[in-house]
Amino acid sequence: MQKSKKIVILGHFGVGKTSLIQRFVKDSFSDKYKVTIGVHITKKIVEVNENDSISLIIWDLEGTDEVQMIRQAYLLGTHGVVFVFDVSRPSTFQNLNSDLKIVAEKTPDTPLIIVGNKIDLVIQDELQSLLKDNNIEANYLTSAKTGDAVNEMFTHLATLLNDLT
Amino acid sequence: MNEKDRLEILKDILFTEDREDIDKIANRIELLEQAYNSREKFASRVDPIVEEQLDKFTKSIPHTLGPTITATLKKEIQNHKDEVVDALYPVLGKMVKKYVAQEIKVLSEKIDNQLSFISAWKRKLRSFFGGSKEKELLLDDIGGEKIEQVMLIERGSGLLKASFSKTETIDEEMISGMLTAIKTFVEDAFNQKNQELELIEYELYNIHIQSFVNYYVAVVISGAYSLKAKDKVQDIIFDFYHNFMEMNLDLIYTSRHLEQPVDTISSKLIQKKLAEYFGNAKI
Ligand SMILES: Nc1nc2c(ncn2[C@@H]2O[C@H](COP(=O)(O)OP(=O)(O)O)[C@@H](O)[C@H]2O)c(=O)[nH]1
Ligand SMILES: [Mg+2]
Repeated sequence: MQKSKKIVILGHFGVGKTSLIQRFVKDSFSDKYKVTIGVHITKKIVEVNENDSISLIIWDLEGTDEVQMIRQAYLLGTHGVVFVFDVSRPSTFQNLNSDLKIVAEKTPDTPLIIVGNKIDLVIQDELQSLLKDNNIEANYLTSAKTGDAVNEMFTHLATLLNDLT
Repeated sequence: MNEKDRLEILKDILFTEDREDIDKIANRIELLEQAYNSREKFASRVDPIVEEQLDKFTKSIPHTLGPTITATLKKEIQNHKDEVVDALYPVLGKMVKKYVAQEIKVLSEKIDNQLSFISAWKRKLRSFFGGSKEKELLLDDIGGEKIEQVMLIERGSGLLKASFSKTETIDEEMISGMLTAIKTFVEDAFNQKNQELELIEYELYNIHIQSFVNYYVAVVISGAYSLKAKDKVQDIIFDFYHNFMEMNLDLIYTSRHLEQPVDTISSKLIQKKLAEYFGNAKI
């Protein structure tokens, strides 16, 4: 049977979690905002190299403005976490480091990838100083709209999880 | 000197040395004999003592070694609580279930006895008005339920470990993820830690869920799902888990963050077992 891993996508409301998954799985994007209620599950088989693939079972959780409010039960047995913030909305990253600390506590010993999304909405130069000023170290800067770095981010996580087994 | 004396003298001269040797040997034999005898004497005195000590020792094991053994066992059980529960749960579950089922059977038989004449009349009336035969009506009561699909799913992660299906279905990995999300949500929302979601009704199907410590089994059933069938399904699940899964605790270990990975039984084998247990089961 196919090797499979559970990953969860976390982050505040409207940062683009569902859009990132949509872009990755279906290579499409919609401007309409459909609030995720509860959990949505999608699957994508990712080729990690020429002769190895892994299936990612992606749990798209409803957004919460309080990271602390995430249902712990949804995080059980997860193999990887993606934490998304919206580079165009400071309220989604002002407390990023303390948010990340909480996430790390909730999912100990689990790879965590930090993603700044919607980079199409900001000017590149301003973005760098914005991150620096807020003391943020993002692993990936993406746009679900243009598709920038979305595949790279998910494939990187898949490879990481594949190497861990 | 007569003939005889002379012979003796001659003997003396010729055999002195031999004589001495023979004496020495005789002495030795005597010594050995003594040693042997005293040893036998010794043994006959010592053996009972050793035997008695051995007997005492054996009898004292429960007091001397016993606590150590018990403590070790206790520690082992404490360190592997989940595994122990997983091993015991099917047995206990079946016992409790059997007991409750028996009680209910007795109760319903009592009720049946009281009601049987009414239902007999009802059937008669129905056949009278509907024109169908009594026997056919009785057959109506037997549901056409069938096991369509079985999935062994890791709790929490919702990852599919193995599955068996009679017909091609939509992506089972997705189904097992969704089932787990629904189960998690329901159990979490009602915040009843000890309450587990048992049944999901979905269109024409009933999905029977039985949780164990690290895994849960989901059985998809088509047709009307009667209590009797539910009872059967539960039994099959418990049998499968009891006979197969708990013998393979290494399967459980893999879900943990173990320092060294353990060889797991292959999904293929579990798949085969699922087919064996659920494939031809009459419910
Ligand atoms: N411009 C732009 N809009 C985005 C991007 N990603 C998501 N959005 C929009 O942001 C809104 C919220 O996205 P959604 O994926 O539903 O966020 P979620 O609540 O985190 O799942 C939607 O209207 C999306 O169209 C992006 O990369 N660029
Ligand atoms: Mg969403």
